[in-house]
Amino acid sequence: MKIMVSTGHLGTAPSGRESFDRGLEARPDVIAADAGSSDPGPVYLGEDITMGLFAEEELELLLTSARRLGIPMIIGSAGDTGSNRGVDQFVEIIKANAAEHRIPKFKVGYFYSEVPHAYLLDKMARGVSIDGLDGFPALTREELERTSRVVAVAGVHPFIELLDRGADVIIGGRSGDAALFAAPAIRAGLPESLAYHMGKIIECASFCAEPFMGKETVIGTVTPDEVLVTACHPDQRCTVASVSGHAMYERANPDFEYVVGGSLDMRACRYEHHDEKTTRVTGARWSPASEIRVKLEGAKKVGERFMGIAGLRDAHLVRHVDDIVRWSRESVERMFGKDGYGLFYHVFGKNGVLKELEPVKESKAHELAVVVETVAEDAALAEKVTDYAVRMFFLARIPGVKGTAGAAATTKKAMRYLPGYVWTLNHTVPVDDPMELFSVHTTEAGV
Amino acid sequence: MATVRLVDIAKTIRSKNAGVNQVTFDIIFPDAPTYERVKRSGAFTRQAMASLFGIPPERISAFVEFDPANAVKFTILRSRPNGSPGDWDILGCQYYAPLMDLTLDTEPDAGA
Repeated sequence: MKIMVSTGHLGTAPSGRESFDRGLEARPDVIAADAGSSDPGPVYLGEDITMGLFAEEELELLLTSARRLGIPMIIGSAGDTGSNRGVDQFVEIIKANAAEHRIPKFKVGYFYSEVPHAYLLDKMARGVSIDGLDGFPALTREELERTSRVVAVAGVHPFIELLDRGADVIIGGRSGDAALFAAPAIRAGLPESLAYHMGKIIECASFCAEPFMGKETVIGTVTPDEVLVTACHPDQRCTVASVSGHAMYERANPDFEYVVGGSLDMRACRYEHHDEKTTRVTGARWSPASEIRVKLEGAKKVGERFMGIAGLRDAHLVRHVDDIVRWSRESVERMFGKDGYGLFYHVFGKNGVLKELEPVKESKAHELAVVVETVAEDAALAEKVTDYAVRMFFLARIPGVKGTAGAAATTKKAMRYLPGYVWTLNHTVPVDDPMELFSVHTTEAGV
Repeated sequence: MATVRLVDIAKTIRSKNAGVNQVTFDIIFPDAPTYERVKRSGAFTRQAMASLFGIPPERISAFVEFDPANAVKFTILRSRPNGSPGDWDILGCQYYAPLMDLTLDTEPDAGA
């Protein structure tokens, strides 16, 4: 079974057309793509907004291609976060595209991944612990109540259920990336070990090939004995180095991959040259889990957010930037008190990216940009604190300064940004049935 | 012994989120001899990486040598989860930069 993928995150930028067309020429059995991630941060889930601005044209490309070939199209984590609204948005796009291109009638399957608060409160009331991952404490009732939205990360099960129901196009809520690619192969009776491993390797499309190029097509082929990963762009190859290197991408432990219902053990994997553009992968082992746990994601709002920018060019001020930041913060605290807002200084040119992890303590930059970021429950306060903190760069009192008309080049007005959110759920919940959190539906599209 | 910079001998040096609260670093070498040479140099330890980033060793949540890819890999816990107010590198994709200037004392290549 050949699974084609042209993008690691559908909707953020268009797929490369040349490799896409070459992928179609290889006659794939399925076209699939992951459209979401927790990487963009919690605000998209919390506010329920779509980040990617290219979803419509990407879905159109995949839909028209899949229907022309008469093969299933599978999308996971619709609308970046896999919220119910994201699923509905993608289903509507599919229907509109189908009508516009006068595609003959076909079946659209979709499933929702949002988890009602009541479900989790009920679990907790029955003494079930909802355990945190990677340093998050177990979920409390208070933290859940502050959470605006929760999604569960689906495994292969709702995808297989919808394929069984005859869906030609599947739009999934929040989904595990490896699972959405593995589902059709597992349903076809191929080994779970190879299906999941194929999914894990191709989920970011051409990131598993070299040289580095995003948004290009690769094809993962699963047979009863092996996985073959093939690059479709004329300048890319899936090499032993690129495929084995990708095996450890984005995960702390390269030896294991956990999905709903089990785990993949890759310690005995072998990566071998197959042909110029293809690497052969074998040896993964699949272990079903004794207890089924599903990952949950949730976000809570911490306030409205504004940003402002101050530029420093005077070498004396550049040298004393830490003093100016301290002056600004202390001035804000004198004016507004110490509580009721969050205030962050991003000093680009010094440690704006790495902050306290930055080993370079003495910047050689001749100018600095300081981004002031403020979060407060009340938008007016967030704006006022930002404005005042930036103005204190302009009004900084630094002994020895020669310029006396203003100590910083500043923008005039604080800029409103997306609200501040933080992750509240990065947890797992035990379930009796892997479908328990996912409701599947079908509808028709086309003419 | 020869002193080399990591950026001159590694094929790939990268960092990326591993979930919302960790950033994982991959240092991939072009071939097994280079990889083995780096491992023998002893430059990559939990303590050395903690010192480079100025963090306590407990914040390094995983440290592995991944032979199939000729790679060294370690993971740190973030100071705040990705996308929280105050976090700028939401993907963690620029955290790797300090590794580039790391110097290693290694024995010369066999036959060199």
